[in-house]
Amino acid sequence: MSEVVLETKDLSMEFPDGTQALKNVTLTIKKGELVSIIGPSGAGKSTFMRSLNMLNKPTEGQIVFEGENVLKARGKQLRQIRRRIGMVFQHFNLIKRSPTYQNVLHGRLGYLPSLKGGLGRFSEEDTRQALEILRRVGLEDQAFKRADELSGGQQQRVGIAQAIAQTPSLLLADEPIASLDPSSSENVMTYLKNVCQEDGLTSIVNLHQVDFAKKFAHRIIGIKAGEVVFDGSPKELTEGITNYLYYSK
Amino acid sequence: MSSLAKQIDTPVEENKVLDMYKDLQRRKKVILKNRLVLWAIIAALVTWAWTGTNFSIAIIYTGTANMAAFIFTDLLPPDFSAFGRYLQPALQTVYMSLVGMVISVIFSIFFGFMAAKNTSFHPVIAFTSRAIIAFLRAIPALIWGITLVVAFGLGPLAGTLALGLSGIGILGKAFADVLEEIDQGQVDAVKATGASWFQTMGQGVWPQFKTGFVAWSLYKMDLNIREAAVLGLIGAGGIGYTLQGNINLFQYQQASVGILMIFALILIVEYTTAKIRERLL
Ligand SMILES: Nc1ncnc2c1ncn2[C@@H]1O[C@H](COP(=O)(O)OP(=O)(O)O)[C@@H](O)[C@H]1O
Ligand SMILES: [Mg+2]
Repeated sequence: MSEVVLETKDLSMEFPDGTQALKNVTLTIKKGELVSIIGPSGAGKSTFMRSLNMLNKPTEGQIVFEGENVLKARGKQLRQIRRRIGMVFQHFNLIKRSPTYQNVLHGRLGYLPSLKGGLGRFSEEDTRQALEILRRVGLEDQAFKRADELSGGQQQRVGIAQAIAQTPSLLLADEPIASLDPSSSENVMTYLKNVCQEDGLTSIVNLHQVDFAKKFAHRIIGIKAGEVVFDGSPKELTEGITNYLYYSK
Repeated sequence: MSSLAKQIDTPVEENKVLDMYKDLQRRKKVILKNRLVLWAIIAALVTWAWTGTNFSIAIIYTGTANMAAFIFTDLLPPDFSAFGRYLQPALQTVYMSLVGMVISVIFSIFFGFMAAKNTSFHPVIAFTSRAIIAFLRAIPALIWGITLVVAFGLGPLAGTLALGLSGIGILGKAFADVLEEIDQGQVDAVKATGASWFQTMGQGVWPQFKTGFVAWSLYKMDLNIREAAVLGLIGAGGIGYTLQGNINLFQYQQASVGILMIFALILIVEYTTAKIRERLL
């Protein structure tokens, strides 16, 4: 019986235009798990993930992260929850004009006084740490380049480095390899998995490639039209279920 | 291969393609009709404007002749002994433009951030800021100048404030538009780290905003030099004020020195801002 990191109860989300993106999603994520959420485009994977750190606000239900009620959190409390949740995006979302190491340092913003962080005055210790993390993801040679000079796979590793710099307890990755070629995908997923194991991180990875999910995740959750329709081990995910997930109406 | 060919051969598919082609042609016809209507309207408007302004080639001819006569007999040659008298006001014009720009930049940062939907605190604040900016823009610097000369008296203070106020109308809108164009994904990524509002602005928004900010601010400096020269004509300080004095006394050959200096000022400032832009961007 390991400890629960994240719990959602009856989480529902309706966008202002009336799109029902999530319907009563109830899930429990335990410490150290690498969970992959799969489902067709538009299923609600991103919406679910962005709800967890309140990049969008669910309309109903509850999210409990390490014992804290996320949907009730405001201001400072919300920022302190966010800094414990690292996030990696499909389109990397690095600050293109800022150097690589500074993008990693952004992971420290939640720990800095507002003014200091806003002006980019990071401490020597944070900077050393950022460079060390870049070394961990194999990018020590790219540290001082502008972020948009890096290849897609490299940019995504910067994204992972930034998330790690937060020293999070939960890592969210929203389709981290959807914009990458197969070999970079393999490479990025391997880094992601290693980093999570080394740091004992819990992670949730949205993927639409079922084969990657089966290969890397401990547990797979299938979402279809905003509802959880499968929750089990990679072995339990049969072809019939994936067909149902992706092809049936 | 053969099965694929069969699918394409089926009459149902062919009918569909035919239908789509007809549809395409119909759409093209509609677009053509719309274009014709549009051109007809434009032609009508131009004709109307043409007659409304009494525009005629003959007037242009006599007007040009009058102007040439004025330039060659009255303005030329320039009386360069007036140069010293224009130097101080010329510098004043530069100060006015610079301070006016700084004022409008400072206020435009505030109003721009509040007016842009993605950086504003609330839609109502965004709407109000847009309205304030639009109001300031609707009134030309010259009108601000006349009003402010009445309020603060003759001199560069009125001119500087006029440039600052009308500048908010231009820069506030430009800044807000640049901000609304930035990539929200990058901002989300910074926000997701637990960054505060100021940190999100400083580290997520500013790097994307910087280029537009510098380019527009320098452009405003270019505009200010021209406007400052005109503002002098209504007594709001600067080189235009001295120029006005010469013109009123029919000292056209001295006035032409002022005109040449305005010309030089504009060129110098444009050259300098272009160099600064190159350096910074
Ligand atoms: N900002 C938005 N406004 C309205 N509808 C949205 C918005 N974002 C996403 N949706 C809709 O919500 C549903 C789920 O989208 P999303 O979570 O992005 O799916 P996925 O990540 O699984 O592809 C889709 O139907 C999508 O069109
Ligand atoms: Mg998505």
